[in-house]
Amino acid sequence: MRSLGRTRRKAGEALTAWALLTPSLIGVVLFMLVPIAIVVWLSFYRWNLISPPRFVGLANWVGIMTNGRFANSLLVTGAFVLIVIPTQTALGLFFANLLHRRLPGSGFFRTLYVLPWVCAPIAVGVMWTWVLAPSHGALNTLIGHRIEWLSDQALALPSVALVSVWSQVGYVTLFFLSGLGAIPETITEAAQLDGAGRLRIFWTITVPLLRPTLFFVLLTTAITAAQTFDTVYVLTGGGPLYATDVVGARIYYEAFQNHEFGSAAAMALVVFILLAAMALLQKLYFDKRTTYDLST
Amino acid sequence: MAKRSQVVATVVAAAIVLGGAAAIIAPKLGGGSSDDAVVTVKLWDEAVAAAYEDSFAQFTEAHPDITVEVVVDPWATYWDNLVTDVAGGTAADIFWLNTFFTTYADNDNLIDVGAELGDGAADGWDPAVVAQYTRDGKLWGVPQLADGGKALLYNADLLADAGLNDSDLEGLAWSPTESADTFVDVAKALTVDTAGRRGDDPEFDGSALAQYGYNAAFDQDAIIFNYVGSNGGTWRTEDGFEFASDASAEAIHYAVDLVTRHHVAPSAADTNENGNFSKEQFLQGNLALFETGLYNLKEVVDGAQFTWGVAPVPAGPAGARTVTNGIIAAGNAATNNKEATLEVLRWLGSQDGSTAIGASGSAVPAVLDARGAYTAFWDAQGVDISPFFAGETFTLPVLTSTHAQEAEAEYTPIFKSMFLGDTEVDAGLRDAQEKANAALAD
Repeated sequence: MRSLGRTRRKAGEALTAWALLTPSLIGVVLFMLVPIAIVVWLSFYRWNLISPPRFVGLANWVGIMTNGRFANSLLVTGAFVLIVIPTQTALGLFFANLLHRRLPGSGFFRTLYVLPWVCAPIAVGVMWTWVLAPSHGALNTLIGHRIEWLSDQALALPSVALVSVWSQVGYVTLFFLSGLGAIPETITEAAQLDGAGRLRIFWTITVPLLRPTLFFVLLTTAITAAQTFDTVYVLTGGGPLYATDVVGARIYYEAFQNHEFGSAAAMALVVFILLAAMALLQKLYFDKRTTYDLST
Repeated sequence: MAKRSQVVATVVAAAIVLGGAAAIIAPKLGGGSSDDAVVTVKLWDEAVAAAYEDSFAQFTEAHPDITVEVVVDPWATYWDNLVTDVAGGTAADIFWLNTFFTTYADNDNLIDVGAELGDGAADGWDPAVVAQYTRDGKLWGVPQLADGGKALLYNADLLADAGLNDSDLEGLAWSPTESADTFVDVAKALTVDTAGRRGDDPEFDGSALAQYGYNAAFDQDAIIFNYVGSNGGTWRTEDGFEFASDASAEAIHYAVDLVTRHHVAPSAADTNENGNFSKEQFLQGNLALFETGLYNLKEVVDGAQFTWGVAPVPAGPAGARTVTNGIIAAGNAATNNKEATLEVLRWLGSQDGSTAIGASGSAVPAVLDARGAYTAFWDAQGVDISPFFAGETFTLPVLTSTHAQEAEAEYTPIFKSMFLGDTEVDAGLRDAQEKANAALAD
């Protein structure tokens, strides 16, 4: 009798658990698993959205692997990530350190840094087209020299990357600031008593203890940078001559300009696999070097 | 207590599931209790949209059971949205199309207007536009706009500063043979660098312009097609692109040289990604000669704060030939209100329906009987629009392939690069043509 009651209670608990899980489960299935499955399915079809999809086997996959444009977009994206991530991480860490010292005006600057991040990327892009315009642009007017920031083959990608850094650095700063706040002051005080200088404390105490934050920031910002689309779409449209044709934009143009939704799906899956691999590598690296518990 | 929490959790979960299902199902059920039909009309032109509002106000008086909603989607996003709208079954009942119509026509997304409105309907429409949008014997839309040719809008004040007047613009000739060309010298005289030197001054600095003589740029409709046509070249045939052929290449070379060699036009760094740059410069009084179509005239009338006028375009070796193009209002074959949609299409194809377009001065109506209103508008404004109709006009053939948009995406970056001076013109044209034709054949 008692065991029957226990079984009923367990069944009831399981039901509760499933009931509580159901909303999330529906979200995950409907908005993640089903779309991924559709994209996988689509990658084996040729489809322009308005005529019926046609099965083409591996043709889309072979096409994107042999078409230099997709390879170019991966290279451009790699270069973009390599400019954006170190720059915004270093700047974010620098600004977070300044804010952490609680100097006068810290509150104001904290808000200021975050403002670009909360702005709509398209609006940010439009604003920067005015700033970087070759004729009558704000930046060229300021420096008194005409530089074609967005149409020069060598300058276009760094220019777009710097706009991206500008808009994301506040996000990075916020997380580093939070990470710095979690480091017990007793540790740095002890190091100071032992005669460690500011730089030594930073490199041997602050940075190692910031690794959980660093892991999170690097992972999320690298994924965001690799998926960049809107800034490029507004500023350069992928030009000049594909110099800023990042993979997010390439997928969009393949789908909506070339009407090759199957190829675009295959490209998206390649990016998905690459980003998942990158996240795994980062995790493996940081797992061996990260201390999460600062109380011991 | 545990039981109560189980019940609450189950109820909450069920509510979310049912709520979601209801949200999905509700729109399908429809909630309209009225018998009125709503017909949506989508286009990319704000000025014509305003004229449509006036036109549909009259339409609704005669058809109180049909409400027409005008939706403007800017050119920059129009085509991306259209394809998803058509695919998703949410496209407007009537939408504007240009020569990209072939994809939709061949996929049976459009109403065969010729069959639905009757054979006689097309008699009152511009024959060139009717021919342009007739494919396999079917007419795929009601002609709405028909450009005249192109002309030069000139800033009379800037001409006077250079010691020129409107008579100096009559009989101008451009030519790939320098000795036969009279246009470059005029354009140079009208171009000024930031140090105040004109384009014909040996010390002139073409990298720092304060005033532009002319608006050469990668603008296919206003510039490129006209140079190709007036040099006797062919941009494309029904089967593919031919812009790398000798006569076409010469013409494009000339247009590129105006930017990269003679520096009489804004840098492509300014114009490649900002299609409105030249128009803005003209309105700000920084551009002397603005080659354009009638579609910009209304904005110039409203915005120019200087004395301006209209002159013919420079004639090329094959004469003064400029391109003209038509726009149709296509009926959505998947509309839920076919009868009402046909009624609106019939109205748009009538003199009464299209007169508002002409009377607003925003564009030339393709409905022939409505053109009088357009001419009357400009007469009342005191603007002589005859130069737009002075030269010979031509239309580009519609491609047999349905991949016109894809082909354009292939050649556009290469043309932009040529105008930037980064890609050598002849090699660029061959590359662009090969890629564009490959996209058509794909």
